[in-house]
Amino acid sequence: MRRVALLATVLTTLLSLAGCGSDEPKEGAKPTPDSARIELTFEGEEAPATERVQVERGEEIEIVIKSDDAGELHVHAESEEVLEYAAGTTTLKLTLDQPGVVDVERHEPEALVLQLEVS
Amino acid sequence: MADSRPLAHGLGGPADLPISSELAIAGAVAALVVSFTVLALAWRTPRYDSTTSGRPAPAGLARLVDSSAYAVSLRVVGMLVFGWFVLAAVFGRDLLTNPVFGMFYVWWWVGLVPVSVLFGPVWKAISPVRTINAVFARVSGSDPDRGLFDYPARLGHWPAAAGLFAFVWIELVYPHMSELGPVRLWCAAYLAVMLLGGALFGSVFYEKADPFEVYSSLCAKLSIWGRRDGVLVVRSPLANLDTVAPLPGLVAVVGVLFGSTAYDSFRDSLLWIRFTQESSTSTFLLNNLALLLFCAGVAVILAIGSAATGVGRGTRRRELPALFAHSVVPIIVGYIAAHYVSYLVEVGWDTLILASDPLSTGSDWLGTGDLDRLSWLSFHPTALAWIKVVAVVVGHVVAVVAAHDRAVRVLPKQHQVTGQLPMLAAMIAFTVGGLYLLFAA
Repeated sequence: MRRVALLATVLTTLLSLAGCGSDEPKEGAKPTPDSARIELTFEGEEAPATERVQVERGEEIEIVIKSDDAGELHVHAESEEVLEYAAGTTTLKLTLDQPGVVDVERHEPEALVLQLEVS
Repeated sequence: MADSRPLAHGLGGPADLPISSELAIAGAVAALVVSFTVLALAWRTPRYDSTTSGRPAPAGLARLVDSSAYAVSLRVVGMLVFGWFVLAAVFGRDLLTNPVFGMFYVWWWVGLVPVSVLFGPVWKAISPVRTINAVFARVSGSDPDRGLFDYPARLGHWPAAAGLFAFVWIELVYPHMSELGPVRLWCAAYLAVMLLGGALFGSVFYEKADPFEVYSSLCAKLSIWGRRDGVLVVRSPLANLDTVAPLPGLVAVVGVLFGSTAYDSFRDSLLWIRFTQESSTSTFLLNNLALLLFCAGVAVILAIGSAATGVGRGTRRRELPALFAHSVVPIIVGYIAAHYVSYLVEVGWDTLILASDPLSTGSDWLGTGDLDRLSWLSFHPTALAWIKVVAVVVGHVVAVVAAHDRAVRVLPKQHQVTGQLPMLAAMIAFTVGGLYLLFAA
């Protein structure tokens, strides 16, 4: 009886774990067209609320920055990239090859402005 | 107000992708099913007895492990790695490529866990503070095991809990965690406190109060290696887990270990990031409070889960949390494995590459400077997600079995089944909470 119960437990556990499976896109993230375009507006010290955007591996990402002052974006990918932008409107281009969640931070003043979910 | 959120680990690039909702739910269901099956069908008399469990290890192995040559070589390895660390910390440059950060946050903090689960109480064997204490004692002609005073029994593991909290604080909350000065200072303070403690109380201080020894020895209880009457024995991890001593402060240690890992997940969630950005309270203060709340919360849930039961003669309700704290250890190890596996493997390997150039002069002293980086886990997020969920579920299963065995030993007969329900609920809360954090962060 005990052996049957143990077997039932193991089977139920395995089946419930196996019952999931495909990589479906998560709800709640932005839709991904062929190349992602993200707009960020910095007004002085204020930064927009952080957003998380789903992007594809190797996809070209355009980040359009409207800012009063020049500054830098630090992209914490597998090697940290520094993208500089000028006052006014700048379009920065970026490609990410490694899956993961990449933090994009503005420096001066420091703030996390964007999270890119690369899959 | 300037945002003092510690910027992105400093170490390692992208964070792990969240696991899918299906996988999280499947894991939770599996945990629930197993929990109730164990409760309904498992044994009614305790199975593990620390005084008799375990088979003596093969004679050759026992001879090797007990030999002084083996003990000395392990100490030498510990001192060599320590020496390399000091070299890089004192004479190296304050750059992220200094291997000190990887050695401190990855090799030491995370690496200790799998090594202890596989090989037993590793930190006790290699700890530089034990070695230095022993050397000082030999030089001054005293016994390293005895100090000026006896270690107060009521102190238990509380100093270790405080030390562990100090570590997770600098790792997770302090905004300058990836600058050389603070890491150096933390290590200097650790050394000073440990050496002072060893001089005052003897080497028993390390067993009770060294945060890393307590951490490593607790994880080692999930290994197959134990000692009974001084003899090396091999026993099932569950039997080994049963030998954890319910000292004061054990619940706090468990709370800090699980709470800090949960907080580490939580602080990367969009919910927390947005909350701290929109709040007018300083982010630093909020992060401190959140870490404290997570650690205290785990300890409180454990306390309520274990104590909300009828007790019979001979056991006081106040003793129950410490008697059940050992059963949370598998959940902690499972969750740490899930949260840090890619960090340990990939950033840990990167640290080996960087360790070849401790002074950041472009040299390659260990010959590891040109190795390729490892990135298999990052490039296979589905496999990684499966590994995470399986680790958490296995941790939960072992935990439930361990708690059940303790319950039938400690609780009176009429409360053995109903008395376990709050503890089961606490464990399900931990596991489902952990799975949710893996999904949401």
